[in-house]
Amino acid sequence: MAELESDPAAEFVIYTRLDPTGDPIITLSGELDIAGASSLEKTVAAITAERPVRLIFDLSELRFMDSAGIAVLVSATKNVDAVTLRNPTVIVRRVLELTGLSEVLPIES
Amino acid sequence: MAALLIGLVVTAALVLTSLAVYNRNERRLLKLRVRELSLVLAATVPSIQTPLASAAELADATGGSAQKFRAFMSPYVGAGRQFSSVSLWPLGTSHLTPSAVLGGTPALESMPERAKQFFTHSTRSGVLNLTSFLNSPHPALGFDFSAPGHAHGFAVYAENPLPANRRSKLEKNSAFSDLNYALYLGHSRRSSDILVTSVKDLPIKGRQASDVVPFGSGVFTVVVSPNGSLGGTFFKDLPWIIAVAGLLVTLAAALMTDRLAQGRQRAEDLAGILDRVAAENRDMYTEQRGISQTLQHALLPDTLPSVDGLAVNARYIPAASGVDVGGDWYDILDAGEGRVLLLVGDVSGHGLSAATTMASLRHAALAYAALGSPPARVLATLSNFVNSKPHTYMATVLCALIDVEAHQMTVASAGHLPPLLIDGEGGQFVELDVGPAVGVSNDARYQERTISVAPNATLIAFTDGLVERRGEVLDIGLARLRAAAIGPRLSLEDLVGKLARELTSEDHQDDTAILGVQWLS
Repeated sequence: MAELESDPAAEFVIYTRLDPTGDPIITLSGELDIAGASSLEKTVAAITAERPVRLIFDLSELRFMDSAGIAVLVSATKNVDAVTLRNPTVIVRRVLELTGLSEVLPIES
Repeated sequence: MAALLIGLVVTAALVLTSLAVYNRNERRLLKLRVRELSLVLAATVPSIQTPLASAAELADATGGSAQKFRAFMSPYVGAGRQFSSVSLWPLGTSHLTPSAVLGGTPALESMPERAKQFFTHSTRSGVLNLTSFLNSPHPALGFDFSAPGHAHGFAVYAENPLPANRRSKLEKNSAFSDLNYALYLGHSRRSSDILVTSVKDLPIKGRQASDVVPFGSGVFTVVVSPNGSLGGTFFKDLPWIIAVAGLLVTLAAALMTDRLAQGRQRAEDLAGILDRVAAENRDMYTEQRGISQTLQHALLPDTLPSVDGLAVNARYIPAASGVDVGGDWYDILDAGEGRVLLLVGDVSGHGLSAATTMASLRHAALAYAALGSPPARVLATLSNFVNSKPHTYMATVLCALIDVEAHQMTVASAGHLPPLLIDGEGGQFVELDVGPAVGVSNDARYQERTISVAPNATLIAFTDGLVERRGEVLDIGLARLRAAAIGPRLSLEDLVGKLARELTSEDHQDDTAILGVQWLS
C-alpha cells in the first residue's frame, strides 16, 4: 500500500456542530479526496436524515478537494434545500469555480 | 518460569515476615505472661503473711498463749489448707524450740542451730522471712513473721512442703496453663534452688522469659516458656498458611503464565494467518488492479479514428497506487462532414462502479453525439440521462465539435477544466461558460462557444489528474501545463508523451487522461 499522508495537517477531519441559528455546520479540514469522501458521505447522510432546512459546510480549513469530495457536497444538495459553503480557501474556491458549481453550491464568506 | 520464581520469592518473603512478626509477638506475649505470673505470686504474700502476722500479734498480746495460738491458727492448717505446719516460737531464749505446734512437726525444730540463725537474722520489721529446706528428704519452705519491735517476743513460723520431685503441673483451666514454669528461690537459676516446676528437665529451654518476684524478705525467680502458641494457633500456623497459600498462588500464576504464553502463541499464529491473508489480499489486489486497468482500457477506445488533416492522440495514465479503476474517459468520433466530436470526462469516485458509470455515460454521449447534437445539447441530454435515475455521482464532461476544414471548434463544458489551445503565438485555455457537472442539477443548461483556430493549432483536453496538486491552487497547475506545452513545436504524439511524462509524477494519486488534436495545416 502506498504510504498515507505523513503531513498531519493533511489528515482529513470532519467536525460537526450546530450554528447559533440551529443549522448544522460540518467543518472539514485537511485534504478531502476519495479516501475521506466515504466517511463524509456517512456524516452528511446522518445529518440530512434529520431534514435540516439549511446545511453549512465550513471549508476554511480544507486544503484540498477532488471530484470525489465535490460529489459528496453536491449530493447533499439533493436532500437539503440550501447548502452553503463557508469560507473556502482559494484552492477549493477555484476548484468550485472551474467545475461550474458556484451556483449549485453558493459560497458565503 | 519467571512467574514461578517470583511467586516463590514473594512467598518466602511473606513467610519470613509473618514468622518474624509471629516471633516478635510471641516474645512480647511471653513477657506479658511472666509479668502477670510474678504479680500473682507476689499477691500471695499477704495471704501467707496476714494470718502469721495476726498470730504473732495475738501471741505478744497473750504472752504466748499456746491455747489461743492453736485456736486462732487451726483453720489455716491441715491438708488442703494454707499451711501444713504452724508453730509458735518464743524468742530471746538460748535454746530455741516451739512452744506450740499445729500440724506436722516443722523441719526447723530438729535443726536448733539453723533455727537460731534463722530467727536471729530474721528481720523484725514487719516483713515475711523466708527459709527453705530444699536438700532435705522432705523439702519445705518456711515462713516466719514476728511482730515489729519485740526483740523478745514471739515468732510465728509456718512450713509448707514442696513436692518431692518439685513437679507440679498447673491445672488445665488455670490462667497460666499455656505456660511451662520454673520457680527458683532467690536470684539463681540453679537446679538446686528450684522450688517447683512444671517441666521434667531443667533448665527450661527454648523461648523463655523470666522475672524476679519479691517475696517477703527474699525473692523468687520465675522462668516461663510457652506451652504452645500464646497468640493462638492461627498466628502460629499463619506462616505455614502463607507458605501453602503462596505456593498455590504461585503455581496458579505459573499455570496462568503458561496459559497466557499459549494464548500469545495462538495470537502469533493468528497474526501469521492474518499476514498470509494480507499477502493473499495484496496479490488479489495486484490482480484486481490488473483487471481494473484491463477493464479501463477495454472501456476506452482502442483505436482512434483517422481524420484527414487532423492528428489525433490520446493517453491514459492510471494512478500510481490503489486498485481502483478511475472514472476518466475520452472519446473521439467521426461526426461526418469533416467534423470530429471530442469527449473528455471524469466520473467522481473510483472503483468498478465509477468505471461502469463511465461506460454508460460514454455510450450515452456517443449516442447523443451520433444524433448530430451540438456540444451544449450533448451535455444537457447527458445530464438528464444521469438525473433520470437515482445516483450518487457526478461527472465533469468536456465536449468539443471540431470542423477541421473550417478551423473552427465549438466547445461546451459540464464542470470540466478548459482545454488548452496552442498556436504559433503561444497557448491559452479556452474561455468557457462552465455549466455544472452532469448529475448535479436537474435542468442544467450549458453554453457552448465557437472558436476559430489558427493553422497548425493544437488542442489539448485533459482530466484534472494532469494539473491538480494538493496544497496548490488549480491555476498553478494549469500554468504548469501551459508552460510545458508551449515552446518548440512538437508532433502531437511527442507533445502528449512529454506532458504525460512531465506532469504526472511517479506517485500521482489520480488517473489522468489526455486527448489531443492537431491541425496538420
